[in-house]
Amino acid sequence: MYKIGEIVSNRCLKGDYFQAVFYHPEIAVKAIAGQFVHVQITQMSANILRRPFSINNTDPEAGTVQITYKVVGSGTEVLSKLAPGAVCDLLGPLGNGYKMPADDEIPVMIAGGYGTAAMFMISKLAKNKGMLLVGARGDADLILLEDYQAQGTEVKVATNDGSVGTQGFVTVLLEDLLKNPEPGKKYRFYACGPTPMLMAAGKMLCAAGRADGELSLDHVMCCGVGACFACVVKVKDGDTFRYARSCSEGPVFTAGEVYYEN
Amino acid sequence: MKIDMSVDLGKFKLKNPVMTASGTFGYGYEYNQLYDISRLGAVVVKGIAPFVSNGNPTPRVAETASGMLNAIGLQGPGVDKFLHGDHYMPFLRTTGATVIVNIWGKSIADYCEVARRMDEEPEGITALEVNISCPNVKAGGVAFGTDTKLLNEVISAVRKSTTLPLIVKLSPNVTKIGDFAKAAEDAGADAVYLINTLTGMAINAETRKPKIANLTGGLSGPAVKPVALRMVYEASKAVTIPVIGMGGICNGIDAVEFMLAGAKAVAVGTATFADPYAPLKVIDGIEDYLKRHNFKSVSEIVGALEI
Repeated sequence: MYKIGEIVSNRCLKGDYFQAVFYHPEIAVKAIAGQFVHVQITQMSANILRRPFSINNTDPEAGTVQITYKVVGSGTEVLSKLAPGAVCDLLGPLGNGYKMPADDEIPVMIAGGYGTAAMFMISKLAKNKGMLLVGARGDADLILLEDYQAQGTEVKVATNDGSVGTQGFVTVLLEDLLKNPEPGKKYRFYACGPTPMLMAAGKMLCAAGRADGELSLDHVMCCGVGACFACVVKVKDGDTFRYARSCSEGPVFTAGEVYYEN
Repeated sequence: MKIDMSVDLGKFKLKNPVMTASGTFGYGYEYNQLYDISRLGAVVVKGIAPFVSNGNPTPRVAETASGMLNAIGLQGPGVDKFLHGDHYMPFLRTTGATVIVNIWGKSIADYCEVARRMDEEPEGITALEVNISCPNVKAGGVAFGTDTKLLNEVISAVRKSTTLPLIVKLSPNVTKIGDFAKAAEDAGADAVYLINTLTGMAINAETRKPKIANLTGGLSGPAVKPVALRMVYEASKAVTIPVIGMGGICNGIDAVEFMLAGAKAVAVGTATFADPYAPLKVIDGIEDYLKRHNFKSVSEIVGALEI
């Protein structure tokens, strides 16, 4: 029997990308696509803040929660070295999450880099498997594509260096779809990735009359529950903006809600 | 044998000595989703001004060794929404929690206005905490907290604007903290509360940019505890009003250290980010300590440092 928060597995997917599975039945049962867990890596004594990770997948029956992460700093560095049996403190599921597509809607998931992690549960749980449009610098930053394909989701790739798929940003793929939709298809748009990519995709969706597209935004996070106002992002407020907490009011905001600088 | 955990702060009493630090506990609503916040000695809400405040640009926080820097910039709903909005004071009144409202402004008139508004609708408000020590707003805040003459002016004026008990939250960014504690007492404060954060910086060498948009921020967490303990000790020697201590408290023993140094009550701040249940664990930890040392009441350890 596992302890709550115990690491069941923790492996390298490729390069700096890792995947960890935690035992946490409560989160496994409650979590929906687009929510996150706030992890205290208790093995780090001088680092006091938790680290937020998108929930990549859950197994409610096994009581496990999976995250897929890139080693980007001290927290993920330590996490990547933890062996099964180590116990972390997980808070979650936190955040609002994506609204699942209706049965007659086709989900279009727009990902930048490891933004693929946060939208997998849409692919897994939606009736129509839809498509994943994914952009990355190159092959080294393309992860989880097979997982989407295994669900029956069509995967289209754009890379900056042209090593895989179309050369360019993921917005090239999005623009193409928005200009040439398949007749009679009802699409529903979701996005997760770096902020500049989300801003570009959000503006494109708004211009195409799809302000209902959902973007997962975040910023350096602290409490994770809406108390500290650290992780704020700009949302429209009349002609100007206000700062909304990505942890509790988001992380998912519609493209129409988001405030664009230009 | 039941230990008496209540503390008497002169104008008001708390069921136990553990408060939440303003700015780390939202408006109580957020953590009440996790546990009953009325178990705390007091809930100190995030700063309230007479106006809506947007706060600073992002990034607003950066982790540092055994601590963190923040420059949130007092984002807040303003007094009207606080007194009447769903997740604010009307909600807090339903919880039975002891509520202390942190107030701030850009001018003395602002401080007085928000104090007067609380005074007009005081139901459920136990005390006001006057924030003259936020290092992250350009106008007001710390400007009042680092000049004893300005401190006296603002606290004297607020004193005339409300009959609610006044706690003055002091800045550690001064040379002689005792002088500031005394100035607050002389101006009519009912208690002093320290320390607010220490001004600091964090730099990303790779990008050659500051880690927080405001350039400077306030340092908090275990890293500041020795400084905070020294200042609480000094302040408690300088005044006869109660001293409330905070700065890096993570567990019951940390809290006991502050009480031994002279604090009648304590607050948990940054530790709540690491563990939302930290304030409750601090209460239990103090009680455990008192049992181990055969104390009958928590007030017995206040100022009991043996030198």
